[in-house]
Amino acid sequence: MASEKETKQGLAKKSRLIVRVGSFLVSHSALVSVICCIAGCVLLLLLPVLAKSTYVSENALMPGSATPMFSNQDALEANRLVKDIMRILEDGREMEIAQLIGKRMEDVGAEVYYHRFRSDNLHFNPLGFFSSACNMVLKNSSGCTSIGISSVGIIRAPRGLAYSVFSLLSRVVWLAKDIVWLAADSRHDPRSTGIDTCFVNKFHGEDRKFDGRTYDVFRRAGTMAAALVVKVIDKSERKERDRLDIYAEASNGQMPNLDLINIVHYLAVHRQGLDVKVGTFKYLQNSALLKHLSEMLSPLTKLAQSLNPGWKVGINSADFVEGTATLASSMYYQALGVPTRPHGAFRDFQIDAITMELSPRGRLTIENGASSFLLRGGRLIEGVIRSVNNLLEKFHQSFFLYFLTAPNKFVSVGIYMIPFALLVVPLPIVAAALFSTTESGSSATASSGVVAESHTWNWLSSANLVFNVHLWAVLVSLLPYLISQMPLMNSAISMLSWISFSLSTIFIFYLLMGSPNSYAKVYNWKVLKCVTIAAASIGLCLMSIINFSTAQVGAMLLVPLCLMVRPLKKPIQLSLFRRTSLQFAKLVLAVLAFPPATFAISKGLLQGFRSVGFGDFWEWSEFLWTWNSATYLYVTLVHLPCWVLCMHILLHP
Amino acid sequence: MRWFWPLVVSALACRLLLVPFAENLNLGSRPEVATPLTSLRRLAEGYWLKQSSMSPYAGSMYHGSPLLLTILGPLTIKRVHGQSSHLICSLIFVFVDFLIAMLIRAIGQKLVQSNCKNFKLLQISKLAKSYECVEAGDVASVVYLWNPLTIITCVGSCTSPIDNLMVVLTIYGACSRIAPLAAFAWVMATHFSLYPAILLIPVTLLLGYGPDSPPSKLFHMKNVDVTGTLVRVFSWRLIIQFAFWVAIWSCYILVLSSISLKGLDRLPEMWKKTYGFILTVEDLSPNIGVLWYFFAEVFDFFRVFFLIVFHVNILFMVLPLAIRLTHRPCFLAFVYIMVWSMLKSYPSVGDAALYLGLLVLFANELAEMKFSFFIFCGYIGVSLLSPVMHNLWIWRGTGNANFYFATGLAYACLQTILIVESVSTMLNHDRMLWKWLKTSTSSTPAAVQAS
Repeated sequence: MASEKETKQGLAKKSRLIVRVGSFLVSHSALVSVICCIAGCVLLLLLPVLAKSTYVSENALMPGSATPMFSNQDALEANRLVKDIMRILEDGREMEIAQLIGKRMEDVGAEVYYHRFRSDNLHFNPLGFFSSACNMVLKNSSGCTSIGISSVGIIRAPRGLAYSVFSLLSRVVWLAKDIVWLAADSRHDPRSTGIDTCFVNKFHGEDRKFDGRTYDVFRRAGTMAAALVVKVIDKSERKERDRLDIYAEASNGQMPNLDLINIVHYLAVHRQGLDVKVGTFKYLQNSALLKHLSEMLSPLTKLAQSLNPGWKVGINSADFVEGTATLASSMYYQALGVPTRPHGAFRDFQIDAITMELSPRGRLTIENGASSFLLRGGRLIEGVIRSVNNLLEKFHQSFFLYFLTAPNKFVSVGIYMIPFALLVVPLPIVAAALFSTTESGSSATASSGVVAESHTWNWLSSANLVFNVHLWAVLVSLLPYLISQMPLMNSAISMLSWISFSLSTIFIFYLLMGSPNSYAKVYNWKVLKCVTIAAASIGLCLMSIINFSTAQVGAMLLVPLCLMVRPLKKPIQLSLFRRTSLQFAKLVLAVLAFPPATFAISKGLLQGFRSVGFGDFWEWSEFLWTWNSATYLYVTLVHLPCWVLCMHILLHP
Repeated sequence: MRWFWPLVVSALACRLLLVPFAENLNLGSRPEVATPLTSLRRLAEGYWLKQSSMSPYAGSMYHGSPLLLTILGPLTIKRVHGQSSHLICSLIFVFVDFLIAMLIRAIGQKLVQSNCKNFKLLQISKLAKSYECVEAGDVASVVYLWNPLTIITCVGSCTSPIDNLMVVLTIYGACSRIAPLAAFAWVMATHFSLYPAILLIPVTLLLGYGPDSPPSKLFHMKNVDVTGTLVRVFSWRLIIQFAFWVAIWSCYILVLSSISLKGLDRLPEMWKKTYGFILTVEDLSPNIGVLWYFFAEVFDFFRVFFLIVFHVNILFMVLPLAIRLTHRPCFLAFVYIMVWSMLKSYPSVGDAALYLGLLVLFANELAEMKFSFFIFCGYIGVSLLSPVMHNLWIWRGTGNANFYFATGLAYACLQTILIVESVSTMLNHDRMLWKWLKTSTSSTPAAVQAS
C-alpha cells in the first residue's frame, strides 16, 4: 500500500505544469469564477478609462492637406436649389423634385437616370437570417433619381448641399474615382434603408426584372470605396456652433473602418469647426450613481498615471461620465444589430459607410446662416471625398472592431475582448469541475464490476434534454412567422399568442419526451448543469464572433445564472444568512435573465415603469427580425433555452 | 431497438422536407459541404461540356468519375414543376443515405453476432449478454441518419453520399464475406475517390479472418481449439476470389469509363484529372482541411516535397495500425477512414458523417472512451464556427483567411483526439478482456460460469 502511495505521489509530481495549473483551477472553480466574474464587470466599467485617442492609420488619406475648392459661389448655387425645392413643396408638386434634381444633374454634364423601387414592408423571413442577399423586389412606386458619371460615393441630401458638391466635382478633372449621387425619395420609408438596399443590391448585380421586363438601364461605376449618407436637419434650437452627428452602427454590430470616422471627425473639428457628436445615452449622463463612481475613479486614474505617465489612463470625472454614456450607447446599438441610419445597406456589401447628420446653429431660413452652413458642410464633404480619392485600395489599415467612447476616442477589440473573456472563462472551468466530480462518483460505483457502466457517456441523457429544449427554442423562434400571418393582431395579442403557443409546445414536448420529474430520475443535475454550461459557452463564443456586443450583454446575464444555478431543494452547507441570500440571488437572477422580463425591467428603469406595455417585447422582437438581426437568434436560440434549462436545474427534485 | 423504424422514417421525412429548401440554404456552395471533387454544380458543368462534344475534363471544373456523369449528369438538367434542377439528384441521395444506414445496421448485426460467438467460446457470458442488449448496428444507423452532418451532406447537392455508399458496401461485402460484392464496392470506391484504396488491408483481413474478434492470444490462453472452432483461420480461397473479382471489376469499370468518355478524352487524361488532381492539391480554394492553406503559403520549390510528406503520412500509418489491429479489421477500416478524412486533400463534412456513423458500431468496446463530452462539444462548436468564420472572412471582410483556417486546425485537432482516444480505448478494451480472462482462468471454470 505504501509503495502504491509513493508511486501515485511520484506520478503527481511528474505531471506537467499546465496540467497542474488546470487541476488547480478546476479544484478551486468556485473561487476562480467569482474572481473572474467580478474582474470582468470591473474591467467593463473601466473601458472608458482605457479608451485611446483615434488617429488616421492610412497615410495616403491626408485629410485636410489640400485647400478646399468649394467656394461661396457653390454655396449660393446650393441655396438656389434649396429655394427651388421649397417652392415646389409649397405648391404641392412633390413628384417634380426628382425631375428638378435630374435636370440640374444633366446640366453639370452627368449621366442621369431614374431608379424605380418598391419600399417593401419588411416581414419575418426565417431564411433571411442565413442568406446574405436581400429579397427586395423593384416596383414602380415613386421616382428616385440616381446619377452615375465619373462618380463614386453616394451623396444624398435633400437640401441642395450634395448637388453643389456634385457640381463642383464635375468640374475637377483630376479626380481619380467616380462619384455616384443618389438622391433617394424617403417619403415612403422614413428610415430609407430600403431604398438604399434596393439601389446597392442592384448596383452589385442583383438585376431583377419587374413584370417580366426591366425598367431603366441601370448604370454602374466601379467598386465603391466608401459611402457617405448626408442628412440635413433643421432644428429649431439655437446653438453656438453647427453640429455634426455621426452614425456608424450597421447590421449585426458591424462598424465602418475607423479611418472613415477619423477623417470626418478631423475635417469637421479642425477644418470646419463643427461640433461633432456620436450617439450617447442622456439618462446615463445625468445618472447620480455614475457621477459618484466617476468622482471615486478619477483620483485613482490620475494616481495611476502619475506612477507611470506612459499608461495614459488619467481621466476627469466629466469625461468618464460622458465616455460611459457613449460607450453604453455604442454597445447597445451594436448589440441591437439594426442599422442606426441608412448607411447600413452599404455595410452589407463591405462598403464602409456612415451617416452624417448636419444641423445648423440657427434657422436655415436666415440667408447668411444658411450660406455659411452650406459652405462648411460642402467643404467637409469635399474634403472627405478628396481623402477617399487618395486611397488606392479599400479602407483596411485601421480598426473594424471597436466601440466609440467619444467622437475621437475608441476602445479596440484587443481591450474590449478581455472583460468578455474573463466572464466566459469560468464556464469551461466549472463544467470541468462538475464533470470530474460526477465522473469520479460514478467510476467509484462502477469499479465493483469489470464491465463498467459507461460512465464516460453519462452525459448523453442530459445532452438529449438540452437538445430537446433547443429544438423547442427553434420552434419558438419560428412561431412569430405564423403569428404575423394572422390578420388583425395587435402587439399585445400577438405576444399573448406567442407565449401560449410556446407553453403549449413545451408541454407537448414533455408529453412526448417525458416530464421533468421523470427526467430527474435519469439524469444527474450536475451533469445537466455541465451540459447546459457547455451549450451556453458555445452559444456565447459563437455570438461574440457574429456580434460581440450582444454576446457581452448576454454574458452578463447568462454567465452568473449558469454558474450559480443549483436545485433549490438541495441543501448547501452554509450559514442560514448566506444560504438565504444565495437562494434569493438565484431567484433574482432567474427572473432577470428571462428575456421578456429583462426587456421590461430595463425599459422600466430607463423610461419609467408606466411606459411598459405587455406587447412591447413583441414589438422589439419584430424590430429585430425585420432587420434580420442575429440578436433575435441569440435571444431565442441561445439565451431562452439556457434559461429554461437553468429553471430545470433550479426546480430539480 | 423499439423506436428504430419510426426514427428511420422520420429522418428520411426530415430530408425530404429540407430538399426543396436546399437552394435557399445555398448548401451546395458551402466549402464545408461540397468540394471540387464532389460538387454537383461541377458535375453539371462536366455534363454540359460532354453534351457539347467536349471533354468533361476540359477547363478545370470537373474532377470526378465519367460514370457519375453518365448516371447523375442527365438528372442535373431536369426540372420538375419549376423546382431546382438538383431536386431529383437530392432524392437519389436520400435513398442512398437510407441504403447506407441499412448497410451499417447489417454490419453492426454481424459484428454483434461475431462478438457474442467469441465471448461464448471464451466463456464470458456476462459480456455476451451486455453486447446483446446494446444493438450497436441499430444505434449506429439511427445516429448516421440523424447526424446533422449527414443531413447537410444529403441535402447539400454533393456526391459524397455515393462515395460513402461504396465505402460502406465494401465493409459490408467483406464482413459478409461476399468476395464479388466487396471487390465491386472497393473498386468503385477507389475509382471515385482514390483514398479507399487503403481499405484493401482491412478487406483482406475481413475476408480472411472474418469480423472483429478479441486477440488470438486470448483463445490460446483459454485453450480454445482454434482449428476446431474456425475462429482464426485465414481463408485464402476468398482472397483469391477477391483478387480475381477486383481484376474483373477494374477492367469492366475502365471499359465503361472509356465508353462514357466517347473518345472525347483518353483514360490517362482521366487519371491525371481525377487522381492527379487529388494528389497534387491543385485547387487551393478554402475547405475544412488544412492542406489548402499550407499549399497556398508554401514556396513553390518545396511544394513537391510537402506533397509527398502529406500523402506518405497516410501511408505511414497504414502498416503499424494494421499490425496492431489485425484482429479487429472492421475497426481498422474505421480508423483508416478517419485518417484519410483528416489528411485528404479536399475533405468535407460528408467524410465526418461516415466515420461518426461507423464509430457507434463499436459502442460496446468504446464505452470507456475518455473526453467523449469534450469531443462532442468540439464538433458542435467547430461545425457552427466554420460558416461564421467563413462569413467573416469572405462577406463581412472584417476577418481574414487565418480565422477560417483556425477552425480547420481545431477540427483537425479534434479528429486527432478522436482517433487517438478511440484506438487507445479499443486496445484498453482488449487488455481488459485479457485481465478478465486471466483472473477467471486462475479461478475455477464453474465460478466463471456462475458470474
